[in-house]
This record gives sequence, C-alpha cells and structure tokens, in this order.
Amino acid sequence: MPRQANALDFWRGFALVSIFINHVPGIYYERLTHRNLSISDSAELFVFLAGWSLGLLVGSSNKPKSNAAPLAFRLGGRSIQIYAAHILISGLALALLAGTAHLMENPLILEWHNAAAFFQDSARTQMGIVLLSHQLGYFDILPLYVVLMLVAPAFVIIDRFAKPLLVPLSLVLYFASLTVPFTAPTWPVEGNWFFNPFTWQAIFVLGFALSRDEGLGRFVRSNLTLIRCVAAPIVLVSAVLVWFNWFPDPTKLPDPRLLFLNGKSFLTPIRLIQFLALAAVFSAAYPVIARVLPWFTEPLSILGRNSLNVFCVGSLLSLSGQIVRFLYSGSVIVDTVVLIVGVGILWLTAWLSEWRERQGVGG
Amino acid sequence: MVIPLSLAGLALAAAAGVAAQAPPEPPSIAKECGDARIADKPLAASAAALQLRKRIKILAIGASSTAVLGIGRNGNPPLLERILERTIKGLDVEIVNRGFSGELGEAAGERIRIEVALNQPDIVLWQVGTNDAFAHVPVESFELSVGNTVRWLKEHNVDVILVGLHYVKRIAKHPHYQAIRASLRRVATTQNVLRIGRYEAMEVLARTAATNGRPEMEDFGLTETGYNCMAQYIARTITVGLFAKPPKQAPTPEPAK
Repeated sequence: MPRQANALDFWRGFALVSIFINHVPGIYYERLTHRNLSISDSAELFVFLAGWSLGLLVGSSNKPKSNAAPLAFRLGGRSIQIYAAHILISGLALALLAGTAHLMENPLILEWHNAAAFFQDSARTQMGIVLLSHQLGYFDILPLYVVLMLVAPAFVIIDRFAKPLLVPLSLVLYFASLTVPFTAPTWPVEGNWFFNPFTWQAIFVLGFALSRDEGLGRFVRSNLTLIRCVAAPIVLVSAVLVWFNWFPDPTKLPDPRLLFLNGKSFLTPIRLIQFLALAAVFSAAYPVIARVLPWFTEPLSILGRNSLNVFCVGSLLSLSGQIVRFLYSGSVIVDTVVLIVGVGILWLTAWLSEWRERQGVGG
Repeated sequence: MVIPLSLAGLALAAAAGVAAQAPPEPPSIAKECGDARIADKPLAASAAALQLRKRIKILAIGASSTAVLGIGRNGNPPLLERILERTIKGLDVEIVNRGFSGELGEAAGERIRIEVALNQPDIVLWQVGTNDAFAHVPVESFELSVGNTVRWLKEHNVDVILVGLHYVKRIAKHPHYQAIRASLRRVATTQNVLRIGRYEAMEVLARTAATNGRPEMEDFGLTETGYNCMAQYIARTITVGLFAKPPKQAPTPEPAK
C-alpha cells in the first residue's frame, strides 16, 4: 500500500510540477512558479528533499551500526537506478530531437539542449553522455543526483560514526569550491557542469542532516519558532529583491565573487540561505494546506512518492512542450493545453507506477 | 555608453598602436561558405588586450557553442581558436565556453553578467535569438533584454559580437522567427556592435550551392558545413576588428526603452 499523503511527498510533487513548467521556457505559467518571488527555485527544493529522503531511508540514528554495509549497497543500487534512468531519458531526448528535426525538416532542432555535439561528433559525445560529462540542457539534474547518491554511503557513515563532522565537512567543501573556485568539467564540449556537485552537495547534506532526529535536525526542531522569526524577513526581502531585480552589479562585488553573487550553477550562499529560510517558513504550510485543501495534497503527494519516474517523464514532456509551443505558437491556449496534458501525464505516470507495484509487477 | 575614461583611452591607444603594426592578412573564407557581408568594426577592448598581453579571452555564450566555435575533433581546440592563433602570430586565444542550450535571451543576459564578473573576458560572443524565436518570446521584451545586456557589456568595456539566427529554408517565412531576427539586427545597429549574420551567411551558402550547379544541399548538410563556415566568419571579423582603426568619434547609442 502506498503511504499516506505527507509533507515530504507533497513538496516533492510541488517541485516536480514546478520543474516541468520551468523547463518549458516562455510558457505562460512560468510566471506563476515560486522562482518569480524567490532567489532559489525548485531545483534547490528537489535536491534538499532528496537529502531529506536519504535521511528517512537510513532510518533512525539509533539503528545498530552494523547496518552500514547493506545500506551502502542499497544506496549504490539506487544510484545505478538513477544513472540508468538518466541514460534512458537522454537517449529518448536525442531521438525526440532527431525525429522532430527530420519531420519538420528543420536542423535547428538538432542544436537544442546541447545536442549539436552528439549529432556532429557522436563517438566522443556518446562516451561523454555515458561518463556524465556531456549533459543535455535541462537534463542536467539527474547526473548531480547520481553523484550525490554514489557519495551518500560516505555521508551516512560520517553521520553514524562522527555525526558532528558531517555538516562542517560539507560546508568546507562548499566554501572551498566557491573560493578557489572549482567545479566538474564537461567533455567533449569544453565547459562546466550546470550543477556544480561540489557546492550542490551542501544542500543535499543539509536536507539529510535536518531530517535526522539528532544533531542539527534536533536543534532546528527545538528552535523552529525562533528560526521562523529570523527566516520570514529573509524570505520577504528576497521576494522584493527578485521582483524588482535589485541585485548588485556582479563586477563590483569583492573577491571571491562567488561568495556574494547570485549564481545557480554554484549554489551561491545567497541562494542557499534564502532557500533554508524559505524551507523554514513554508514547513509550517503543509498542515494548513492539508486541512484547507485536502483534495490538493494527494495528487501532488502521489507525484512525490514516485519522484524518479515522474521526473524522467516530466523531462521528456518539457521537451515535447517546447516543440509543441514552437509548432503551434505559444498562445495562452496552447500553453494551457501543454500544462494540463503535461501534469495529467505526470499524474498518470505516478498512478501507473503504484498500480504496477500493487500488482506485484517487477518485484 | 559609460566607459571609464582611462580604460577607453587605453583601449583606443592600444587599438591605434596595434593598427600601426602591420596587420595580418585576415583569414580567408572557404569558397563553399559564400560571401556574407559583415561590417568591419574595431574591437577596442580586445585590441588593448592583444597589445598588452598578446592574449585575448573570448566568452562564448548561447544556444550552441558548436555552431559558433566550429568543430574541434580529435582533441583539437575549436576551429575559431585555431584560425585566430594561426593568423595572428604569437596570439594566445582562450575560449571560455559557457553555452547553455535552451536558454532564452533574458536568462542568458543574467548569466553573462555573472560570467563576465568571474572570467573578465575581452570579447563576449553571444549566440542569441533562436531559442526566443522558438519559444515565441514577445519581440519587445527580447529586444529590451538583449539591448540592456549589450549596453551593460559596453559599459564594462567588453567587446560584443552577436551571432544571429540560423537560416533554414523551412522557416524562412516564419513571421515570429523573422521578427526576432529583425529585432536583433536593430539591437546591433542601435548599440553599434558587431553582428554576425548567421542567417545571411547560411542563405548565401545555400544560394552558392545552387548557383554552382550543385544539387540543392539539404538543410542538414548545410548545417554541418555552416558550423565551420561560422567559425571562419567570426575569426575573420575578430582579426579585422583587432586591427581596425577606431572611429574618430564613436556614436552614442540610444538607451534601451
């Protein structure tokens, strides 16, 4: 039986729908997603909740320490599952682009989403895709997730045996990556990963640490009211900054500039702090939403419960949405159809995943 | 345009100094690439970098880096870098590739500001417009956001080369595509920056193939040839720009509305 709707699945479902919409650039409903009033966006939420889920998967901190080895294998298996999903959707996306280019007799489609390298230099780019060093545009969050899950056993072991060190070690790596700076390179097209894994690990680790019933998690839960009082003004000021685009000229900032500017690739501190404030404030919202809009929580929670399948289908649907918008002009009517059909298919994907589980298909 | 006087003076002096040296023969364009007309404009900031450091840094940003830098197979650097280093003796070209496919002009503009702060390039090579045309971004907001970014770059003493939309026969009559194309041309004219007419170049390429009695090239073949032709056009434009004499008085661009 699938678990009851809960805050984690609900917010995960919310993040998945937001990502689907934001990955159709220019769609009318893009202006309704929370990034229009927030420095951070659904990517931060998605990775934070992935860390939180890891905490739930690991279970209570009081579990016997001998469970570490099987757990490491389990996390490794999950990493391979995500990797396989990423390779599958990358292949499907390339086929979708190639098919559309041929049908429309429009080779420009082959340049979308960093696909040109694959069609022009397929031998090396194919290797790059398998090595995760070549990522299609908007198909770049799963490679981060694969790496984080591969490293997750290390996070869990540190949490078990040296709990107070986990967050500080993560933050040392985070600030080192911002100040040196360094990131993961891409190949064969020279460049960088869109999501720098050395900085984005911090939000994953924070999600994990905050989900635990000891250490940082316990501290935050004990002082949540006070933390929300501090967080609320940060959220409000950020909304004003984003709305009026009141950010300083990045060339005028002191060195190391990545500590001060607003950059998504490096998950700069302004984004991380604003996200944590947002999470603190909105963690109070779920019980209210569940009480006032009970019909709203289950549809989003079912998406969250089946996040990998939904994310994969959503990535392909976003790409399809872009093609549809180009073919039929991006009017509000077309955008509404893209949204309704897209979210409908996401829900169907989640429902089919649970139906399949209920039938006992695939173990 | 607000360029600090000292920087502007240095740039102009350097450009004049470089121009005083014997400028190299601009790299030739392969016959198959046709003859797209591209205006010659001095690249003052890059000329200063060439004079001072014998090194220029190019930030490539936009939808498809392959399309503007040329193909660099077998571990070779992209064609653009190879042509420039071959043409200008002793020049070290560094290309910082920050292409992000699918990005619209407005989002790219925000990212350009960050990348300029982090990498301090001499030239920003910005391929823009195709995604906005596909996403049906309103022409006014496209023009405003691209215009603002170009103005910001000029204020920060960074040379700008805009790389326009691609020519594909099938969408030659697409009204929004053409409107975005015209809008980009307006931005380049108003802001007095270089624009590589990718569309015109590809159109010439298609026409050249037809006039030479060759069977009409398919759009896909056109694209592949076009990548390397674009790199050649850009290399030529940069070479000419590095050694061009600066105008006596640069026209002041109108602020974007």
